[in-house]
Amino acid sequence: MSSHSQPCPYEEAVAAAVRSGDWSPELSTHRDGCLTCAELTLVVAALAADAEELNAIETPLPDPAPIWLRARLASRERDYHRATRAITWVQRAAVAVVFGIGVAFAPGLWEFVGGAFSNLSGSISAPDLPRAAGSPLLVLVVSILVLGGLALWELTAAQEN
Amino acid sequence: MISMALSLPRTQATDLPGRAVTMDEAAFNNLYHRTARPLRAYLLRSCGDLTLADDLLQEAYLRMLRSGFEGEDDDHRKNYLYRIATNLLRDHFRRAKPESNQVPERDDSTGHDEAVHLRSDVGGAMSELAPRDRQMLWLAYVEGASHQEIAKALGLRTASIRSMLFRARQRLAKQLQARDLRPQLEVS
Repeated sequence: MSSHSQPCPYEEAVAAAVRSGDWSPELSTHRDGCLTCAELTLVVAALAADAEELNAIETPLPDPAPIWLRARLASRERDYHRATRAITWVQRAAVAVVFGIGVAFAPGLWEFVGGAFSNLSGSISAPDLPRAAGSPLLVLVVSILVLGGLALWELTAAQEN
Repeated sequence: MISMALSLPRTQATDLPGRAVTMDEAAFNNLYHRTARPLRAYLLRSCGDLTLADDLLQEAYLRMLRSGFEGEDDDHRKNYLYRIATNLLRDHFRRAKPESNQVPERDDSTGHDEAVHLRSDVGGAMSELAPRDRQMLWLAYVEGASHQEIAKALGLRTASIRSMLFRARQRLAKQLQARDLRPQLEVS
C-alpha cells in the first residue's frame, strides 16, 4: 500500500467499526475501496491486539501501598514545613518587636542603663551589689537582649535547616 | 471482533454537589486497580522496558497524589494520569541517549501465542516510530482519546493533531505492512 492516502470523512466510523467489529455492508465496501480506511483498519486492529496482549502480561503490577505511603510521607513533610514556616514568622516578628522597642526607647534606656552601671561601679559595696544588679530596669533590658538574641539565633538556625 | 483494551467503568464521583472527593487509601487502591494495567501497557509500548514502565507508573500515581488532584470522575483522573505519564516519558526520552529510544522487538516477559493474529510484531513496528507518534497513536486508537485530550497530554495544539495523527498512522501502517501484518476482521 502506498502512502498516497488522504484524510477520509469515514475515518471515525471505520475506527469505531474496527473496535466493535460491527461493520455495515456499506462501510465494509467503502473500506475495501479506500486506502486511508484500509490503513486505519490495519493500525487500529494492530494496536487493539497489541494492547490486549500487553494488558495480559502476567508480571504483577507494582504494589500500590508504597506509593500511598510515599505520598503520605511527602504530605507530612509539606505539613511540617508549613507549620515551621509559621513559627519562623513568629520568630521574625519577635525580633522585629525587640528591635522596635530597642529603637523607641534607646535614648531613655541609655540613661537608665548608664545610671545602673554607674551604681554598679567600684563604689558599691559588696552587700549592695545584688540589689543594684536586681534593678527591675536592668533585668528588663538584659531579658530583652537575651530573648532577642535567642529569637535571632533560632531564626537563623531554622533558616539554615 | 477486536475489543478495545481499555474501558474504564465510571464510579460515583462526589457524594455532595460541589464537594471534592477525598482520596483516601481505599479510593486510591480502587483507582489504581482500575487504571494501572492499561497505563502500564501505554508506558511499556512507549518506552519498551517493563522495569522502566513500572517505575514511571509508580511515579505517575505518586505525582497525582502529591498534587492533591481529585478529579471529577474516573475519566478525568485517567486523563490526568496519562498526562503525567506522558510528561514522565518525555522527561525520560530527553534524558536518555537517542539509541535507548528503541522499543525492543519482543517483550520476553509476555506470553506469545502464535495463533493470535497481529501480536508482538506490532511492538517492533512501533519501535520504528518516534516516541511522540507512538504516544499519539496509542492515546487515539487504544485509549480512544479525543484530539483535544491528545493535544493536552502531548503539549501540542489541538488543530495540529489531526494531520500529525494521519502521518503517524501512515508511518505505522507502512511498518506493519513491511512485517506482512494484515488485520483479520470479522465482518458482521
